[in-house]
Amino acid sequence: MLGIQSVASYLPKGRVDNLKQADRFETDREFVEQKIGVATLPRFEETDSVVSTSVAAFNHLCKKVQIDKSEIECVVLCTQNPDNGGLPHNSALLHAALELPEECACFDIGLGCSGYVYGLSVIQSFMTANGMNKGLLFTCDPYSRILDPEDKNTCLLFGDAASVTFVSDTPRYKLATAKFSTKGAGSEALQKTDHGLEMNGRAVFNFALQDVPKQIKRTLASAELTVEDVELFLLHQGSRFMLENTIKRAGIPAEKAPIRLSETGNTVSSSIPILLETELDNSPRRILMSGFGVGLSWATAIYEEVKPN
Amino acid sequence: MNREEAVKIVMSMLEKNVEGLEMSEDKMGKTLVDLGVDSLDVMLVIMDVGEAAGVAISDDEAEGLDTPEKIVEFILEDE
Repeated sequence: MLGIQSVASYLPKGRVDNLKQADRFETDREFVEQKIGVATLPRFEETDSVVSTSVAAFNHLCKKVQIDKSEIECVVLCTQNPDNGGLPHNSALLHAALELPEECACFDIGLGCSGYVYGLSVIQSFMTANGMNKGLLFTCDPYSRILDPEDKNTCLLFGDAASVTFVSDTPRYKLATAKFSTKGAGSEALQKTDHGLEMNGRAVFNFALQDVPKQIKRTLASAELTVEDVELFLLHQGSRFMLENTIKRAGIPAEKAPIRLSETGNTVSSSIPILLETELDNSPRRILMSGFGVGLSWATAIYEEVKPN
Repeated sequence: MNREEAVKIVMSMLEKNVEGLEMSEDKMGKTLVDLGVDSLDVMLVIMDVGEAAGVAISDDEAEGLDTPEKIVEFILEDE
């Protein structure tokens, strides 16, 4: 049985003061702090890259758990903004940077905010199908590379970050059930154009508040669970206002669903693992994760603690 | 749905979603901005009104609904 053994993340040292950005965009500071919920945004510095920050996340992981690099058989990287335009696939560059063995599968996944929930399922399924025991799932999506500096809708929202999840045959958490959905016809709500990233805030908001709670409820029902049976709900940290209302509409008690994006902003596929890294210290018995965004794509999974024998 | 019912829905959704806002008939013609409804609150109010009144409000249509009265009119016309 495979599952999550440990998680680590890395926030680049570059910082953007979101309140100063608010002034620049002539937006109320209180609105930015209370509604968007982001005070500062981590940003790639010139020397940062998807590979370098992923390596930094891996170095953090090595402080938490003992990793024998010669045992790593699989590396999956989730990003939509890879180094070198994605050629070569950045997981291969990571493979080189981490000096991993040749007998190691490496591939990238191009998903946004649903990417972590998808990626976890993909890496576990791939490893199980191929008899592998140790693997790494990275997320790193520096949206700062595609932001239009004059677009306040996105500039005030997105932060850069990286994470790595150690998937192994001695897991702390195993997948119980997952649901995946796509509404490709709505993909124009969040897309890259010649001007950079463009977001239709209303369309994304409606999607998050109407479709995500339904999937959360469907996932719980398929596992024959209720909200009461789940100790922790980790929802993609899009923006404070959107999260508060998505949580409310899903019928989740606020105290079970942390909102923590003041110092990170929306870090795309890294937002859930950043939360998970902290929350694993509390050893929740059952965790529901839900990622949603670009695509439109959304995915919800329930993970259960593996009781030691 | 008659006008009275539509007004009731719009008022209650505004009060539910905008902290400190108390609605009355004389405020129906004021702009949402003047009533202290920010851009995010507007999205929530429109969604809740649409669901409560059983009408679909597209993004483009929602853009033009900048007073409570216009939202009421939209509900009544859409029926």
